[in-house]
Amino acid sequence: MSEKNDNFQDLKRLLKLKRHEIPPPGFYNHFSDDIMARIRGGESGGGHILERISSESTFLGAWLRFFEARPGIIGAAATGLCMLLLVAVILVDHSESGGAAGGMLISQAMPAATDASASPTVASAVTLAPAADNSGITVSTNPVSSLQPVASLFGSQPNPLFQPVGFTQGAR
Amino acid sequence: MLAMSEPATVPDQNSPTGALEGDLVRRARRGDLKAYDELVKRYQERIYATIYHMTANHEDANDLAQEAFIKAFSALKSFKGGSSFYTWLYRIAVNKTINFLKQRRNKHHISLNDLDFNAEHDPDLVALISDKTPHREVNLSELQKKLNEALLKLSEPHRMVVVLHDVQGVSHDEIAEIVGCNIGTVRSRLFYARQQLQGYLADYVKS
Repeated sequence: MSEKNDNFQDLKRLLKLKRHEIPPPGFYNHFSDDIMARIRGGESGGGHILERISSESTFLGAWLRFFEARPGIIGAAATGLCMLLLVAVILVDHSESGGAAGGMLISQAMPAATDASASPTVASAVTLAPAADNSGITVSTNPVSSLQPVASLFGSQPNPLFQPVGFTQGAR
Repeated sequence: MLAMSEPATVPDQNSPTGALEGDLVRRARRGDLKAYDELVKRYQERIYATIYHMTANHEDANDLAQEAFIKAFSALKSFKGGSSFYTWLYRIAVNKTINFLKQRRNKHHISLNDLDFNAEHDPDLVALISDKTPHREVNLSELQKKLNEALLKLSEPHRMVVVLHDVQGVSHDEIAEIVGCNIGTVRSRLFYARQQLQGYLADYVKS
């Protein structure tokens, strides 16, 4: 072993060169000041939040290190989660459509009950629709047409909100 | 400017300026920033140098060394005193550096510090290069670059052991404590790392 170590004498000499590498002049004069300023500024030096969590909890830290060392597992887990989410969305969608179909079957099976409950709303919807038309408010992306009271423009049905106003002189 | 020509030694604790480390640590734990400032000044060169030799980048070494000291301050309450403060601080710096290097893998950006004046007169280095070429200064810089490139080819655990032992002069026992492995592992890593370096630097060293 010592013979083998002797073979490294030149290498050890060469490695001494590293000891001659020095930082820029004055570097150490400000080094501790910078650290003290950062400490006074409230830095904890924990860096990333995960790093702090892992340093505080050994169990969690071990888990984090495990996943950090195996990015493939993280990818697989993420893909699995996405797949699960997709399946869940499809299932929910499917059950909703199934529920709607079930609702239709129930309304067909019990027409009296549905008629009684639905008739006032249907009636109000029917009566509301012309009223909405009469108000002359239309939803349009065209600014000109949306500002105009459509029904009153053509005079087919008078707008109930529209009242003619007349002005006479000498009314004081 | 202090040169890193020799591994730095801990200041004399009995000297007027060198307070006892234990006392400084106790005061720092109570939030005494002056005491911690003295601890930083005591170990800044060794911590910076270790990180610098691992990263071969001055800016990264500066950032990581600062973060290591800040983290050590915030974690002082968890320091039980089972090891020396210096070993504990080293461990924080080493872990930070290795985590950083793992994230930076394959993205080495070398930013080397200048060589000090003494390098040209170091008898070991003079002996090493004098028979190769008369252009000593040029070759020292070239040698520095080749050496750093070779070190960066080593895995982090192997590089760490070489840096701590062959460059910083830390003993096997202390390295085992800092790195968290047994002495046998330290020795085998050191041997393997030297073998690797010898291969990478075959043009500059006799095998």
